[in-house]
Amino acid sequence: MSKCRIPLGPFHPLLEEAEFFNIKVEGEKVVDIEMETGWMHRGHEKISETRTFTQSIFLVERICGICSTSHPFACVNAIEDIDNVEIPERAKYIRVLIGELERIHSHLLWVGLAGHFIGYDTLWMWAWKYREPILQLSEKITGNRNHYAMMRVGGVGRDFDNSLIPEINPVLDMLEKKMVMLAGAVNDDPVLKSRLKGVGILTKEDAINYCANGPTARASGYDIDVRRDDPTAYEVVDVKVIVTQNGDVFDKAVVRVLEIIESCHIIKQCLKAFEKVQGPIINKVKEISPGEGIGRYEAPRGEVFHYIRSDGTNRPVRHKVRAPSFSNIPTYKASCIGIPLADALITLASVDPCYCCTERSLKVFDTKGRRLEESLLKLSREKTKKIRKNFYADGVSPLERIFEL
Amino acid sequence: MTEKEKIFFEKYKDKMSKIIEKKKRYYFNIKNEDLREIADYLFNKMKCRLSICTATEIYDGLEVLYHFTDDTTGTYYNPRVKTNLENPEINSITPILEGANWIEREMYDLFGIKFKGHPDLKKLLTINSPEFSKDDHPMRFKRNHKAKGERQKVKGKR
Repeated sequence: MSKCRIPLGPFHPLLEEAEFFNIKVEGEKVVDIEMETGWMHRGHEKISETRTFTQSIFLVERICGICSTSHPFACVNAIEDIDNVEIPERAKYIRVLIGELERIHSHLLWVGLAGHFIGYDTLWMWAWKYREPILQLSEKITGNRNHYAMMRVGGVGRDFDNSLIPEINPVLDMLEKKMVMLAGAVNDDPVLKSRLKGVGILTKEDAINYCANGPTARASGYDIDVRRDDPTAYEVVDVKVIVTQNGDVFDKAVVRVLEIIESCHIIKQCLKAFEKVQGPIINKVKEISPGEGIGRYEAPRGEVFHYIRSDGTNRPVRHKVRAPSFSNIPTYKASCIGIPLADALITLASVDPCYCCTERSLKVFDTKGRRLEESLLKLSREKTKKIRKNFYADGVSPLERIFEL
Repeated sequence: MTEKEKIFFEKYKDKMSKIIEKKKRYYFNIKNEDLREIADYLFNKMKCRLSICTATEIYDGLEVLYHFTDDTTGTYYNPRVKTNLENPEINSITPILEGANWIEREMYDLFGIKFKGHPDLKKLLTINSPEFSKDDHPMRFKRNHKAKGERQKVKGKR
């Protein structure tokens, strides 16, 4: 059979970020696959050495747009690890709440994209429709749909408004119901099942050998979760770790859908606790002593790792960032070879790759090279005002606004 | 210390120096020759996972810190290997665990540390960048930094 080389990327209509795959096929079968990165590398670790610790938290927040609270979470964990700083209990609950809200909308984003990749656009529209109320809740709680800017060394920046609890609960109930419905719809659809079941299998041995983490590892039966294994804020809630055994794309989707339901349960625990737990939200830390610290956090895609070395000044000497995709993307070598080309794309997308995180980059410029931050800020503040006014003044709940009940 | 940790530290007592013990974190210096043996023990016997490695330039050389995590207890074991500035070379652990492949390529790219025994040692992040040539390693201090040289040139013209 004739061999052929298919370049995929760096800019391809189906890929949301810049990456390049060099796929070698024999007929329909993929025989070799190589990847080149570096289109989005901006030298983030070097920038962080020139910023103070507090500025670094805001800098790492902008590494990734989707899992934007996971990097600051791991970063403050690393800084707190240097001095063994304890944080107040209410701050722990607020951190967990923000982290879980983010996990829900990130997983829903992937479910939608996965549907789009296999040509099932109904799933994509459904998933993103249910993602919207979560983003609006985030905006109500923190003031931003994304980039919440909540994490500080020693606690959190803003307090949670207890009067929001009655509005959050119905959204979570709705989401849980819809997720069960979605899981049922995916499970019953024979076309979808035959499209995803047994495709791109990553065995447990490969997952361990490639040091995979997050839902990618858990779908292969590798039982790891930082929230349970090394908790820094999550010890206040019960976390059920979801593990499946097959390691194919279908299982990865199932793990993510079940994790959304589990996140809803965790948020409900937090909401219950907010009524009882009052008090300070931050322990002020004035100086960071010399030493090294390791912080990690279970982001939606896996374990985020931050290593910070301090020499007693107000800036880090070394700040190492490792996003989960850095360990998960290389598993394509184990899962993609030997399968048909049509299955390769969904397998590549099944680890929920984030190339911004992998290469640690950021950029907000328009086509003429002008910075966009100022006008974006103005627009977003106007929108937040509008949303709050509508939500609060008319007595219309976010559910009613979106679904027009 | 748990039983597992005690056995590990007892076994490699002679090969370690400067052990720093913190809550759930151990940092210790080892020699380049012992790296593969200890990495093999941590990965295959103790079932640890390699989170990542961190390379740092310090005043008298380069050092690489390996972050092995035991997911059953949440403990980090961090062996530290030092090398010189002129010809930095460290044994590769990619033949033992495949997960070290990309990070060793990244450290070669950004710091110029050559990993002996790596199956395919080439640049990872700046491989397609027009700003950096083959011998540029951008995270090294001032040396070999082409962008820095260019900036000085522009100043001279003015």
